[in-house]
Amino acid sequence: MPESAARPLRILLAKLGMDTHTVGITVVAHALREAGMEVIFTGLKQTPEAVANAAIQEDVDVVGVSSLSAGHTRNLPRLAQLLQSQGAADKLLVAGGVIPEEDLPLLQAAGFARVFTMGTDTREIVAYLRAWWGERGASQSSST
Amino acid sequence: MSRAQDRITPAPETQQVAQEAQRWQAATRAPHVAAHPERREPFLTQALKWPIKPLYTPADLEAAGFDYLSDLGFPGEYPYTRGTQPNGHRSALWTMSQVTGFGKGEDWARRARYMLDQGLQGLILEHDLPTTNGYDSDHPLVEGEVGRAGMALDSLEDLERAFELPFERLKYLMSVCNAPQPVNLAMIIAALEKKGVDPRDFVLHIVNGILIEYTCVGRYIFPPVHGLRVATDCIEYIIRNHPNWAPISIISAQLQPAKANPVQEIAFSMTIAVAYLDAVLERGLDIDTVAPYFHFVINVDMDFFEGICKLRAYRKVWARLMKERYGATRPAALKIRMMTSPTTIALTLQQPLNNIGRLAIMATACALGGAGEAMTTPLHDEAHALPAEEAIRVGAALQHIIAHESGVADTIDPLAGSYYVESLTKRIESAAFEEIDRIMAMGGALRAIESGYFQRALGREQYERNKDVEEGRRKWVGVNHLVVPEEKRQIQIFRADNRMEEEQVARVRALRARRDAAAGSAALEAVRQAARSGANLVPPCLAAVKVYATHGELCDAMREVFGVHSPDSQLTGV
Amino acid sequence: MDVAAQLLAGSVAAGARAIRWLDDGDARGREVLRAIFPATGRAHVVGVTGPPGAGKSTLVDMLIAHERRRGRRVAVLAIDPTSPFSGGAILGDRVRMSRHALDAGVFIRSLGTRGARGGLSRSTYDATLVLDAMGYDLVMVETVGVGQEEMDIVRLAHSTIIVAVPGLGDEVQAMKAGLLEAGEILVLNKADREGFEQTWRHLELLLHLRGGGRAAGGWAARLLPAVATRNEGAGAIVAALDEHRRYLEDSGEFERQCGRRSEQQFLALARAALMADLLSGPGAELLRQVRARRLDPYTAAEQLSAQLRAGRTPH
Repeated sequence: MPESAARPLRILLAKLGMDTHTVGITVVAHALREAGMEVIFTGLKQTPEAVANAAIQEDVDVVGVSSLSAGHTRNLPRLAQLLQSQGAADKLLVAGGVIPEEDLPLLQAAGFARVFTMGTDTREIVAYLRAWWGERGASQSSST
Repeated sequence: MSRAQDRITPAPETQQVAQEAQRWQAATRAPHVAAHPERREPFLTQALKWPIKPLYTPADLEAAGFDYLSDLGFPGEYPYTRGTQPNGHRSALWTMSQVTGFGKGEDWARRARYMLDQGLQGLILEHDLPTTNGYDSDHPLVEGEVGRAGMALDSLEDLERAFELPFERLKYLMSVCNAPQPVNLAMIIAALEKKGVDPRDFVLHIVNGILIEYTCVGRYIFPPVHGLRVATDCIEYIIRNHPNWAPISIISAQLQPAKANPVQEIAFSMTIAVAYLDAVLERGLDIDTVAPYFHFVINVDMDFFEGICKLRAYRKVWARLMKERYGATRPAALKIRMMTSPTTIALTLQQPLNNIGRLAIMATACALGGAGEAMTTPLHDEAHALPAEEAIRVGAALQHIIAHESGVADTIDPLAGSYYVESLTKRIESAAFEEIDRIMAMGGALRAIESGYFQRALGREQYERNKDVEEGRRKWVGVNHLVVPEEKRQIQIFRADNRMEEEQVARVRALRARRDAAAGSAALEAVRQAARSGANLVPPCLAAVKVYATHGELCDAMREVFGVHSPDSQLTGV
Repeated sequence: MDVAAQLLAGSVAAGARAIRWLDDGDARGREVLRAIFPATGRAHVVGVTGPPGAGKSTLVDMLIAHERRRGRRVAVLAIDPTSPFSGGAILGDRVRMSRHALDAGVFIRSLGTRGARGGLSRSTYDATLVLDAMGYDLVMVETVGVGQEEMDIVRLAHSTIIVAVPGLGDEVQAMKAGLLEAGEILVLNKADREGFEQTWRHLELLLHLRGGGRAAGGWAARLLPAVATRNEGAGAIVAALDEHRRYLEDSGEFERQCGRRSEQQFLALARAALMADLLSGPGAELLRQVRARRLDPYTAAEQLSAQLRAGRTPH
């Protein structure tokens, strides 16, 4: 095992349900890669169950869901619930896309730490994830 | 002959202009710019990022090898750069339309009637994501999406409700349901039959645009080669049975929001058209019969001149392609049929009323570039959610203001001869042909899709163009310029009713319980049989929808034979 | 229960976490490896490699489906390149296998190369050990689709499948030099495409030149057609894999290969450890001189070697 201790943040980017708009998730995926993160893409038309399984198998730090249709009020909370019930509550949950303000409390209550609405600067997303990872990375290496 | 010589030896007056331009640059402009530096360095077109010179003169046309007669000709004549209509928009304006579609069948019908009352003559029927992805409303995967992004379509019953319309006021109906196209087509034909509408009295456009779904939209079901076959079945069926309808639209307007630049947009859409054309020609039809059926929907973005020149180049590229590649001779085959539209991706979530201004500029560009047969305008609040009724009214008025108040439609192709417009038009045309040649050399559009070439090219553009905005190279009001902090949202939002989904689910379940099950399964078997044998899928689908086989069941029958498409990230552009 | 015990008891999350530690170079990963090592040596490790666009992921997807039908548990390591500039990566191979997302008998993990060359990631070998210990019968390693001469996979896997497609003329030519010499099973995917016959004959000839049955009792490489997008050809590929595994076991090669992989890993680790020691000890001064170009690298190496021979141990 080589000795380098580089430890990039791993993030699963997922599209749930029937929503197939990929421009936003593509731009974000490229920006996160340029920021040195490992981006795992689930593909389109995924169920919350499949995304939860992938998040666990990939042992990602963050799960990001892009939603540009109306399904988010149902399938995002379902994903959060599945991750919690499978002992993966330590993963940071974020969402992005067309999500009306009035739905934000619902998603926050479900466990989404942050919702990036359409048009968010990718640098803001990168900065947010880096800050979180900075804190998380520190707490993890001291814990064991 | 003499024209070619002209290019080598510039006309004396052009030479003089070129000399004078150099003098002006040195004596007048340079000192001024030294004192007043330019506000952008460099000036570039928005999407292509081509440098924009401070001034264009006849010398630029000369340098581009521009020749009036061969490059422009006259309206209604080859190569149609100045328009496909001999009298531009002086005889008839473009048909004005807007996108609509949501909820259950009767919801769509109510809104469609409202839109017709606002003076619109064409309607676009968009289906919800479960429908366009080939699922019934009660499929477990589609919960929460039913009737949201468009109308839910599970069975013929839904269309029977949707078609409670004054068909005498409807010039055309455009239907967008690409992957399950034979099912959707069969349902429309059966519904029109039930309503007693004569299919000769109006035009049904089916978009039938599966190759663009694979390229960037994502609403595919079967692997690309089967997707193409299914689309070809529909084209062939319509040409042979409903010759007054439109069986195929190449929606460049989906490539554009996926950030195709004008050259990619023309080249990708043209090679996609070639893939369909070649497939239809194999069915024993000839180019002069088939080509007139091809129809394009083209977006215009905020760069006014890039948009106008793109529309002009589109017409010429199509004409040349039909003539040079296929040897088409009928004018109808050489004339591109197109519908234009301002793009939604120029619109902002921030300060949404600003979008009305943007739409006016883009719609004016459409009108100046040659709106085509029809123009459809998106609504200024689209970025927020599904459109509200006030926005529909404003959107409809916008087109009337341009058509009747501005005068831009009163003479034909009014920007022709502009040194800048003609230089840019010609450059877009040549670059598009270079890219077309590259794609054909790799085996054409189907191969470019299968290998992910289109998708990767778009993915790169998406990332780069987003960086332009984030890093401020492109100023965008409300986003990175004149930003209003802590902006409050002011616009009315339309929300679909949650009960609607439950009702739709109950309906399709009740239908399955009620209908003749044996007739349904026999009809589905006939569809599987046709899928396997290569026989045209539309007739067995038509028979099946009439016995109320559902949309999802029919798609499943084809899935069993064709399999499903699950592209890796390379093939989605991510 | 610690992570090693959990993964031995079948916890997917624990196995996934162990692979993460190994990939990150976290010291806890090595603890896990020590604990689980006795439980390894059972899984059939199969490499899947070939040029970009050959349909490796789709082929893997088809093989998963086939193996699942006969009840075998399957794990996949899908490797994609890490950007050398940013250190980031977009890992998208699992998309093609998404139909298995809900199958508890399938584990799919995406790995970035993170600077490793040869088409694998730094942690690929370690990760195969974890999956082996978790009880997966088959561990497929899908390599990066670049670099035909880079074939670390052949050294890592018990059996290697090379995926080719009709019409990739240049790629086939390039493969002739490298990969084709090495794979045990050669799959011509997209067999429904034009150019199939020609490429098939070309590959047949290459295999023939390579020596057909090789020495008596040796393994004769198989050439098989497939149309992975239509699930065609899996049966013959899986049969050939079974046959190859039996061949390896009967000839004692299976054990020897496992041993060779352990040996390679030991040597790599030892090399790294020794280098670190040398360069912080007697090599340090020599390295400084070489960097400053006061000493040529050849003389420096000879001096270091002479010092070691003279019995002056590091420190």
